[in-house]
Amino acid sequence: MRDRAAGFFRLLDWPGFLTVLALITYGVVMVQSATHGTRLAALGDRQLLYGSLAAVVLLAALAVSYEVWIDYSAFLYGLVVLTLLAMPLIGHSVAGSRSWLSLGPAGLQPSEMAKVFAALACAGYIKDMAARSLERRDVAILFAIAALPMALTAAQPDFGTATTFLPLFGAILYLSGAPLGRIVKWAGLAAVGVAVLFALGWFTFFKPYQKDRILTFLDPSIDPKGAGYQVVQARIAVGSGQVTGKGLRSGTQNRLNFLPAPHTDFIFGVVAEETGFLGSALLLSLYLGLLLRLAGTLELAKDPEGRFLVAAAFFTLLYHILINVGMVIGLLPTTGIPLPFLSYGGSALLAMTLFAALGINVRMRRFSV
Amino acid sequence: MSLQERRDLPAKALFLKALVWVLFSVLLGRLFYLQVMRGDFYRVLSENNYTRSIVLRSPRGMIVDRKGAVLCRNRVSFSLVLDSARRGDVVTTLEGMRRDLGLTMTRDQLRAAQLRSPVQSLAVVARDVPASWVQRVEARQAEMPHLTIEMELRREYPYGPLLGHSLGYVGLISPEESEAMRIPITDPFLEVGKSGVEKSSNAVLMGRNGRRTAQVNSLGREIDDPTLRLPGVGIQEEPLPGRSLSLTLDVELQKLLETAFGDETGCALFMDPATGEILAWVSIPEFDPNLFCGNVSPAAWKALAEDPRHPLLNRPIQGAYPPGSSFKPFVALVGLEEGKLSTSTVFGCGGAWEFGGNVFHCWAKGGHGSVDLLTAIQNSCNVFFYKAGNEVGIDRLAKWGVRFGLGRPTGVDLPAEGSGILPSPEWKAARKLGPWYPGETLPVSIGQGYLTVTPMQLLSFYATLATGGVRVKPHLAAAPPEVLQRTDVSASTLAVVKEGLWRVVNGGGTGKACRIEGLDVCAKTGTAQVVKASAGKDTRLLDKAIRDHAWFAGFAPRGDPKVAFVVLVEHGGHGGDIAAKIARIGLEYLFYGKEPVGAQTVPGATPPGELPPDGDAPSEAPTPSPADQARLGAGGGHRAG
Repeated sequence: MRDRAAGFFRLLDWPGFLTVLALITYGVVMVQSATHGTRLAALGDRQLLYGSLAAVVLLAALAVSYEVWIDYSAFLYGLVVLTLLAMPLIGHSVAGSRSWLSLGPAGLQPSEMAKVFAALACAGYIKDMAARSLERRDVAILFAIAALPMALTAAQPDFGTATTFLPLFGAILYLSGAPLGRIVKWAGLAAVGVAVLFALGWFTFFKPYQKDRILTFLDPSIDPKGAGYQVVQARIAVGSGQVTGKGLRSGTQNRLNFLPAPHTDFIFGVVAEETGFLGSALLLSLYLGLLLRLAGTLELAKDPEGRFLVAAAFFTLLYHILINVGMVIGLLPTTGIPLPFLSYGGSALLAMTLFAALGINVRMRRFSV
Repeated sequence: MSLQERRDLPAKALFLKALVWVLFSVLLGRLFYLQVMRGDFYRVLSENNYTRSIVLRSPRGMIVDRKGAVLCRNRVSFSLVLDSARRGDVVTTLEGMRRDLGLTMTRDQLRAAQLRSPVQSLAVVARDVPASWVQRVEARQAEMPHLTIEMELRREYPYGPLLGHSLGYVGLISPEESEAMRIPITDPFLEVGKSGVEKSSNAVLMGRNGRRTAQVNSLGREIDDPTLRLPGVGIQEEPLPGRSLSLTLDVELQKLLETAFGDETGCALFMDPATGEILAWVSIPEFDPNLFCGNVSPAAWKALAEDPRHPLLNRPIQGAYPPGSSFKPFVALVGLEEGKLSTSTVFGCGGAWEFGGNVFHCWAKGGHGSVDLLTAIQNSCNVFFYKAGNEVGIDRLAKWGVRFGLGRPTGVDLPAEGSGILPSPEWKAARKLGPWYPGETLPVSIGQGYLTVTPMQLLSFYATLATGGVRVKPHLAAAPPEVLQRTDVSASTLAVVKEGLWRVVNGGGTGKACRIEGLDVCAKTGTAQVVKASAGKDTRLLDKAIRDHAWFAGFAPRGDPKVAFVVLVEHGGHGGDIAAKIARIGLEYLFYGKEPVGAQTVPGATPPGELPPDGDAPSEAPTPSPADQARLGAGGGHRAG
């Protein structure tokens, strides 16, 4: 037992592991600060519980080889898809979408876990292909594996979370072995496609509040007390943090309720306000370190399925960070995408921890035994 | 293509690393811009977010009378304020107001109210709302997020209409007042005195508002969180309360006099001649100043402004009346001082005097025969004073008029004082009315013609007689006496005039109704003609509206005068009747502490047929009628009295 533990710690990718641990800690501290003195103060303690749980999950997910995880992927994927299918019957409605599963005192968002298990399922499919070369049909099947839970999530309806499956498609394309030039070309085509869909959507199925978000992102002064309020107040929170910040629990934008959803979607606003440019740059550096470590792992992974897992983790984390931070600092429109490890919520924290852990896991076990 | 292919993996990894670096550089660059380059700007915005400047209202000073009775105090009042700068749609709040408070306000009305307010986003929705609304608005904060209840202190005048003209009232400061008084409008409820001593003593009564920076949350609610210390929160400026003001008025005397007027209109002033302290300031009809410090309805305001009896007119200083016979002692004084008259001067009165082709009548149709100066004052002989005035001349009358403060405000500490008219050839020329005719001096000599005075001016004249020629500034706010002018009238002249005035009351003259045993009252009656139509007729037979104004002015006691007074009863007929009786009530109270028994109201003029033998009946004086002879009551024409 002692030897096994010693072996694990020798194997452990300390930089990756510590970075994730630091991010989880940062998240617990910021959620506590964001909810301190408000009626949501209990959420701070709950996040401490989730953070501890995430640390345990991190260790556990690293202790077991990713290959073992892949072995269980079909079961996990099947379980989560069935749960998603059953959500209209057993789910709890929060803010108009049936996305919560009640588990005694705690709740779980199956859609968050679905991202990880879909990635594992794709890895499993890739593993089963063995040495066979990737056909167009295989790409279609991989797409379908990711698209099924995505569609079920969108049907809850929870479009914001549904878009977080998109990085999986990026990972699949990346893995498909296409040369860099072709990927760039596809990305261009995808951008045009998105633009066309966007234009169609604007005149057909976009809801008024969604249009408002886009309009006020373009010009928050249109309605500074209505739809533009969040955008303006988030920007004030970030800017007023200045270099060193107002200090933990002393962010006025946060404490006095000017910042919307300070413990969830806008937690980066609290980071920027209370810890200033130094604190937010430190947080971004931790993300940057983790992403670079994952990018470096891409060329080290010993097998295609491992490489896919790393790519899935990389793209998913990058997507969340960009969309969320970009929203808070006024570079992107408002969306309900949580900030990995920082936003309050157990499901998202566990999902992100698992993603990061799988990526690090692949790096730890890059040498064929 | 095999997934085992590893050839381009380093290039792809490098591409992703470069992509991450680029994207994070954008994020960090943006953060650097917002937090480091623009940090100061956003810091100010965040401070503006959580701070509200709160006005600390300073109470206005109380007003008390000379015995300490409270004439004006403050009461707590709640007002409804809408702040559109708060989060949320104003329309929701307007709907909530309509539903929960029954208040309708359109967006246009809101905008108009905001324009009137010193702070752009604030609008006063309603003042003096019931106290129960405080909790109602608090409880509905979610539905009406822009509404707050503000507490203010509003004026309350416990004596109501009794003191309307002297106390005046307050109102919201206007932009013009703000500029003139150099008081910045920091508060939508900032009030200043609009009339009365509230206005003239505004600098004493009004304090200075303080300012406090409060900490609020995004709903605009003030919070006090000890775990959150914020810069710039706290008291910036302590409020400075206004000082209280003592008036020289005696509210009991005021009450007696007002009651004595009954249904009559007019005014009465009582004053300490030595100090200028005004003991009573009666102007009837009164108005209730509380009307202006509550929610005065447009209808109530209109009724007050359009009342034909002009309740808003402050008669003692804003009414200009011909003084009638009460002016005769002045003519006598000037004649004596200028050596044109003496106690041995005798003029014959045949009931009328023809001068320059016109006939000037005396009120006694049969005439007074040969009369000397004292008898002429005592019986108010017109012909004597026509002749005396003719001897003295208009220039000397005007010269002495200036010394006694006629034709200009007396300087009493109430706003909007009128001047009356002290006619002279210069005055007539300046008004482009042509040259002065000697015949125009005659009606002036009996207090008619171009001459008008305010009751305050006439009181000032009699008070100056009482003090032996020293003209003191009249005042309502307690203050040390201030000598305006030493008229340098000789003691012998004063003795003669006083003797004449004593005889009016005590020698069986026109003012005998005011004779009080043991108190040597010196006074003169006066009857001022209202319209020419009444000339030569028994005033008590005429319609009330065209009856003459009745004057009674004087001082008491003769030896060491303690009080000077003037009573004017509009359309009161003969001055010896009702006006003298009102003055008597005041004097009896002041000197004997006596309040009239039974009916406190002086009955109207005595019935016809009982004309007193020495009545002041007017007669015709056919001189041209000045257009502005009197601002109130008097029509054209004039008549001796």
